[in-house]
Amino acid sequence: MSPGPRWFRWSVPIFTLVLVVAACGPAATSPAGSAAPPASTAPSAGASESAAAGGSAEPSAVTGATCASGATEVKFWTSHTPPDSDALTNIVNAFNTANADICVKMTIVPGAETDVAKLLTSIRGGVAPDVYMADRFTVPQRAAEGVLAELPADVAGMSNDYLPFAWAETQYQKKTYALPFDTDARALWYNKDLIQAAGEDPAALDISKGPPTIDAVTKMADKISKKDSSGNYDVMGWMPAGPGAGGNPGAFDQGWHYTWGFVNGGNFADLTTCKVTPTDPGVVAGYQFMYDWAKAHDPQKVARWVTTNLPPNPPAAQNPLWTGKLAMSISGDWRIAEAAKYAPTGHYGFTFIPVPKAGDKGATWAGGWSMALIPNSKAQDQAIKFMKYIAGPDGQKVYTKESTHLPTLNALLSDASLFDPLHKQFLDLLPTAKNRPPLPVGAAYWDALTSAQGSVELNTKQPKAALQEVQDAVQPQLDAVGC
Amino acid sequence: MAVAPAAIKPKRLARFRPGAIERRNLRWGLIFISPWLFGFIALGIFPILYTFYLSLTRYSGIKAPTFIGIQNYQRMAADPLFLKAAYNTLYYTLLAVPVGVVVAMVLALAMNRKIREVAVYRAIYYLPSILPVFAISFIFVVLLNPGYGLINWVLSAVGLPSPNWLGDPAYTKLALVMIAQLGAGQFALVFLAGLRGIPVDLYESADIDGAGTWQKFRSITLPMMTPIILYDLIIGLSFGLQVFTSAYIITGGGRTAAGADNSLLTYVFYLYKQAFQFGQMGYAAALSVVMFVVSLILAAAVFRWANSWVFYGGEEA
Repeated sequence: MSPGPRWFRWSVPIFTLVLVVAACGPAATSPAGSAAPPASTAPSAGASESAAAGGSAEPSAVTGATCASGATEVKFWTSHTPPDSDALTNIVNAFNTANADICVKMTIVPGAETDVAKLLTSIRGGVAPDVYMADRFTVPQRAAEGVLAELPADVAGMSNDYLPFAWAETQYQKKTYALPFDTDARALWYNKDLIQAAGEDPAALDISKGPPTIDAVTKMADKISKKDSSGNYDVMGWMPAGPGAGGNPGAFDQGWHYTWGFVNGGNFADLTTCKVTPTDPGVVAGYQFMYDWAKAHDPQKVARWVTTNLPPNPPAAQNPLWTGKLAMSISGDWRIAEAAKYAPTGHYGFTFIPVPKAGDKGATWAGGWSMALIPNSKAQDQAIKFMKYIAGPDGQKVYTKESTHLPTLNALLSDASLFDPLHKQFLDLLPTAKNRPPLPVGAAYWDALTSAQGSVELNTKQPKAALQEVQDAVQPQLDAVGC
Repeated sequence: MAVAPAAIKPKRLARFRPGAIERRNLRWGLIFISPWLFGFIALGIFPILYTFYLSLTRYSGIKAPTFIGIQNYQRMAADPLFLKAAYNTLYYTLLAVPVGVVVAMVLALAMNRKIREVAVYRAIYYLPSILPVFAISFIFVVLLNPGYGLINWVLSAVGLPSPNWLGDPAYTKLALVMIAQLGAGQFALVFLAGLRGIPVDLYESADIDGAGTWQKFRSITLPMMTPIILYDLIIGLSFGLQVFTSAYIITGGGRTAAGADNSLLTYVFYLYKQAFQFGQMGYAAALSVVMFVVSLILAAAVFRWANSWVFYGGEEA
């Protein structure tokens, strides 16, 4: 065969060069963290699903290297990554020092809050951890599945020590399956500099003035939003809902279905009758708001802005709130530490989540994590001792200070030494905070609500129809397992 | 003298009794392949049968399975996400497999050029095939960024629209197809081996007859490559129906729903979510069984269809 025409010989190296550039250039920015935790509190949780997908070997423990040789080993798994895992490491090290006969080996096992593939396979393979840090709203579901062990009576008797909603999330069929750890609260974060640059007064959003209305915030935000020469959003005034990172269904940061459902007075479940209630008028009103806002701002253009500025699994530093591309966002207390780290020169504030009408009572919701015991632990007594420590005053004090999350122990809520003034404002939101219904199909319900939110945000489904699908999909699963 | 298998009639086969030598050969043969046989039965047949059993149960993966008959299959019929996942997967497969064949063929033709540097180009074209899919997927998340991604930059530079690849349900599956093409180098090597196997004298005869490049490709190269294309179709079909990793990565690893409007909820992704997020191992098993049956039917259909166009050398036309 002939060597081919001259253009072909040149085209090959050029094409090759393009491939090499394409393959090598962007790799340095591969995602490593998350700026938008969907299900719970920790911004670093579930940061690297790549490891889960790639089936990597179990990472080595980050604590326990200096334990005494005869100490009983307790394996502890968490999906948290720095900075939250640094606080956990400090707690575990303190426990190991105080208890020479026990050696807690903490391992960071990445994964999404609702994904227990690694835990499940480790239990089946007989190499499970003794203590597992579980997103609290998934505890009833994991208990129903047999993934978590029932805790003994003395632990179950600690209910009065904890916030009632946090304790309720650890229960399944009136039995206790975990100890509450941290919690949080959500608010409207705003960038004062961007608001001022648009000729608006950020003082209008001061938390002392109570909850702003959705209309007022939307009008202010629309003055801040800027488009580029192609007509695409360059700066967004606010992102009340979604889509989420990478244009996926769900929330941008914490603008979840639960957020807008609670703000509109919605109830997501009736625990007495063991029914999910996604078609509750308040929940439908929340979805209607998301539908209307997306329609007014062009769903595709909003999705394009999100995909551009917040790819899947973005590093926390890439949050548009810190990069100056977003003026307002629903987020949580953990952003206090982030703001100091990633936007130290910016000027930020937060206030109540906007409400439908002036004078409406502000609403927020709280999530959080818990410490659970895995069935058939060979070091059950030592594991429970560790759980009581980390979820007790010693552990929660360290975690509250170092991670800027909130404690679930009643006794710590009045400990002024744990909260700086900003942190304290989130603490003040807690008494009125709602929480996700503790259901044995919590993960499936979350996922179905998120799918519905995605469809509504793209305006491909009407809110009521989307929520009826949620009802039809989840209720039969709940009927099968009971509450 | 051994009798050709094709010549054995069923009636005679029934009366066939192996002699001592045949029995000894059979015994030793079975002993020699026993590791494979054990693996096939323990890791192939048993899991398939056990999965079928689990599909008739409610099972979380930990507690003992509860027999519920065909409820999981009934649930599937009324599950909109099952239909969505099946649609997404078929859409992807029907698009990715033919595109993959064309890309592999083009790469193989390029690799087959007689130029000095061809070995270097072969290595470079094959290079992406050795990268893990999840690594390529992460890279594509950046390449496909609508605002600052390289692909949209090129499209804009030549005056084409720059889509929102990962955020617009109309384009998300096309993004998956593009990611899959970085693995085309592997198939291109098989195609290259096929091209090298075509007798040169066929091209020489065609040259003497005055055939052009296109005529030679259509009348010689393509027919002689049809067994390879069939192989690529079958393997591609299998890979396509099982697509998971790229969808999992570019949607953020199951943290939210799977892509804009669930457009990246592939069948295996849905199965994974049911098994490992929702503790519905029995339902996931039922999904597996359906997938198994559909795969078998599709593979059989492709083989049957292939009878009309695959050319094996030496056959009568």
